[in-house]
Amino acid sequence: MAETIDFFLNGELVSVQCPENETLLYLLRERVGLRSVKEGCGVGECGACTVLLEGRAVNACLLAAGKVRGRRVTTIEGLSPKGRLHPLQEGFLLMGAVQCGFCTPGLILAAHSLLEENPHPSREAIVQGLAGNLCRCTGYHDIIRAVKWAAKRMPERE
Amino acid sequence: MIGTNPIKIGARERVLGLTRFGVDQGRPGDLYLLLLRAFTAPARIKRLESDAAGRLPGVVRIFTAADIPGINRIGIIPSTKDQPVLSDGLIRCRGEAVALVAAETQEAGMQALGAIELELEPLAGVFDPKRALEPDVPLVHEKGNLLFRQRVIRGHADEALARSPYRLRTVYSTAPVEHGPLEVEGGRADWEDGRISVTACTQNPHYDQSDLARLLGLPPELIRVRQSETGGGFGKKLDLSVQSYLALAAFHLKRPVRMVYSREESFLGTGKRHALLIDYESGMDAQGKLTAVKVDILGDSGAYASYGFAVCMRAAVHATGPYEVPHVLVDSRMAYTNNAWAGAMRGFGVPQMAFAHEGQMDGLADLIGLDPLELRLGNCLRNGSTTATGQILKDSVGIGDCLRRLGKIYRAWQPRVRSDERFRRGLGIGAMYYGIGNTGVSNPSSAQMEFSASGELIVYTGAAEIGQGSDTVLAQMAAHYFGMPLEQVRLVRGDTKRTTSAGASSASRQTYISGNAVLDAARDLERILKEGAAAMWECRLDEIEYKSTGMEGPRGESIPVTEIVARLARQGREVKGNGRFDPPVTVLDHQTGQGAPYASYAFAAQLASVEVDTVSGLVRVPRVAAAHDVGRAINRRAVRGQIAGGVVMGVGFATMEEFIPGKTDNFREYHMPTMADAPRITPLIIESHDPSGPYGAKGVGEPSLIPTAPAVANAASRALGVRMTHLPMSLERVMETLSQTRNSKPEIRNKSGF
Ligand code: FES
Ligand code: FES
Repeated sequence: MAETIDFFLNGELVSVQCPENETLLYLLRERVGLRSVKEGCGVGECGACTVLLEGRAVNACLLAAGKVRGRRVTTIEGLSPKGRLHPLQEGFLLMGAVQCGFCTPGLILAAHSLLEENPHPSREAIVQGLAGNLCRCTGYHDIIRAVKWAAKRMPERE
Repeated sequence: MIGTNPIKIGARERVLGLTRFGVDQGRPGDLYLLLLRAFTAPARIKRLESDAAGRLPGVVRIFTAADIPGINRIGIIPSTKDQPVLSDGLIRCRGEAVALVAAETQEAGMQALGAIELELEPLAGVFDPKRALEPDVPLVHEKGNLLFRQRVIRGHADEALARSPYRLRTVYSTAPVEHGPLEVEGGRADWEDGRISVTACTQNPHYDQSDLARLLGLPPELIRVRQSETGGGFGKKLDLSVQSYLALAAFHLKRPVRMVYSREESFLGTGKRHALLIDYESGMDAQGKLTAVKVDILGDSGAYASYGFAVCMRAAVHATGPYEVPHVLVDSRMAYTNNAWAGAMRGFGVPQMAFAHEGQMDGLADLIGLDPLELRLGNCLRNGSTTATGQILKDSVGIGDCLRRLGKIYRAWQPRVRSDERFRRGLGIGAMYYGIGNTGVSNPSSAQMEFSASGELIVYTGAAEIGQGSDTVLAQMAAHYFGMPLEQVRLVRGDTKRTTSAGASSASRQTYISGNAVLDAARDLERILKEGAAAMWECRLDEIEYKSTGMEGPRGESIPVTEIVARLARQGREVKGNGRFDPPVTVLDHQTGQGAPYASYAFAAQLASVEVDTVSGLVRVPRVAAAHDVGRAINRRAVRGQIAGGVVMGVGFATMEEFIPGKTDNFREYHMPTMADAPRITPLIIESHDPSGPYGAKGVGEPSLIPTAPAVANAASRALGVRMTHLPMSLERVMETLSQTRNSKPEIRNKSGF
């Protein structure tokens, strides 16, 4: 049964018709057409589908669409309004943390969530915070460097 | 430009989420394609009934093998095309595709899959490659179960072994491994002015085109294959996958179709790293010099050939490792079984062989009481050495430099490695050499280059960028040649209509082979421009100089490049440089395996520190130092990135990855290293400048992975005091080893007290 689901996507109110229990991943990719949200496994093991729900990283492949009703969802598009790169995006570029780039949107969003909670994470905290996001290309080496780089440049919050 | 760190081409789009991969190609209105697979193997199809399923709402059509207009056999190697795209009546391994559904929606397609009636009659199978080669066993294919055999014979290994004071024989084995790129197989096909156009993730669009043409019985010109951006490959996207089904459906339906494998399908529907069984005997003299090796290799190709031929050959050729061995006898065989089919995976058999030859080097070091690093240094290849296939390596043999570079780190780490009650610790070294490009066969690349009207340099290449960075490296070379900024180079890549073949993005060959082709195109373009200027100024070609601002003549004349291009175009000349490069190699002698199978070799050595938890059996790898002779690093950032990625994939191969059909065929059960499993990595770039390489470059894509598992296995062996001879060193296997050795004395000394 299709239901109407209203939520905020990257700051804008959107209204989508879909079954309550459809995954947020399917909703975003197929109904909204946001292809930046990736599917790597569909079972919560790879983090490619990571989006932010009220600022917290979640796996969109595990979340029922009905759960986002009235809430704020952020995808990679939401980090760079008007094409201005977020420090994490810049860090990923400069540190060479992008190889095939399939894991990249999910990893940047997971790192965003991590830095919200812990603005100056140690290497261990980064590793713990991002261990749910697989990358098969980079060996994580440059991703860790990118997150450290960005942490130093994040705008200070109140 | 060469040896700098430009930001990767396409990276900006990727951090912004703009990049469209194969799995992102589907558009509203496309038909969905889904496969019915069979899970009993081997078996014969008794009944396949799809009429009722085909009449379900939303189902457009169901295809079986009978709908294939051309030849229902695919495979990269021309002499071993043996794999049906849809079952020919037999199910040779689990997961074989039987029927293809085209439907308006995914749900309708799923319903149809459930409604197709498939009855299978189980057959007797063979699942052990050793057994497969015995007489009176079920045949996987009519021609017999031996897919290929390659020997390498140099000198008299048996006699030399008999005379050697030190001899060591060990049997090593490895498990099938999944590539696990984060993007599964996906793409889209459409019918465009009487042609089929397929856009999908792939490592070799031109091969795809030729086998699709064969499958559909069409001339290749009627099929266009475009490489979409590709989310990793590692060999997995060399064979055809979704492309066959997309092309078949578009051919019949003349409508756009989309297809994406599920992760489980991606495990089942693609080739795995070959499991190899390696019986390895080495001999050494009293001074610590290798005298001979005798190696028997048996590979499991599973039900289909795919790259089995190439892996069998490459494993044989690389059996000695990067060492001088005067007497060599290698017998490498590849068998068909009813197991999951194996194909290309990063390293083509060399990672498995390196695990064996490096285990031997450590074992010999213990036997003779020498330091493992010193022993390797004393035996490694150098400029002027002869390889096992009788090839003399004239220059650019950087293995000694790699080992010496590691030596400093080795000595620095040694005192810090101590075991305690619970954690056993050790250091291990792994070394390798790797022939760049395909083994003993012509494997050319081609490229074209031209200036646009606005002065941009356009490079046309068929080379698939799969994340490894070939786009950037090829563009850097072109930019460097013409003295231009990288931003002014534009690539047209991976499209069979607009580019010519570069061969596969495999065998670490694109930097070296396509790099040389790009430089060849650049020289050709420069010549055309100079000819134009020479005709205009009535002077000789060699009097003209190319400057990044334009051409300069002998009497101070000058003309911008864009103008000379426009002039030549007005005269009706094509101002496009054509380039080609085919590495000079010789075909291996079939009996003796002698020849010069590669034009260039990369070398590497890695050092791993390992910690084994005696309570859980967990093997952790806190640190790896990786020294790689890449000839010349065109893009240092990309080289370091390849090294780090390869090391972590190697850690997976060493400690956790094993594909078991029906068990570990998704990411929940099949474990790949996460950030928490990844070591701290110290990449070390060694540059030996290969005169045959573009600006001296060789390759690094596969070499990055090859020494890791050997280094980790040697470190774990040292930590545990017993040689680990099987990969992966899983929790269960380590616990078993611990329980067997708890009460016996260690076989391996953990030197200097660590
Ligand atoms: S697709 Fe959601 S975690 Fe893998
Ligand atoms: S860059 Fe390819 S998976 Fe991370």
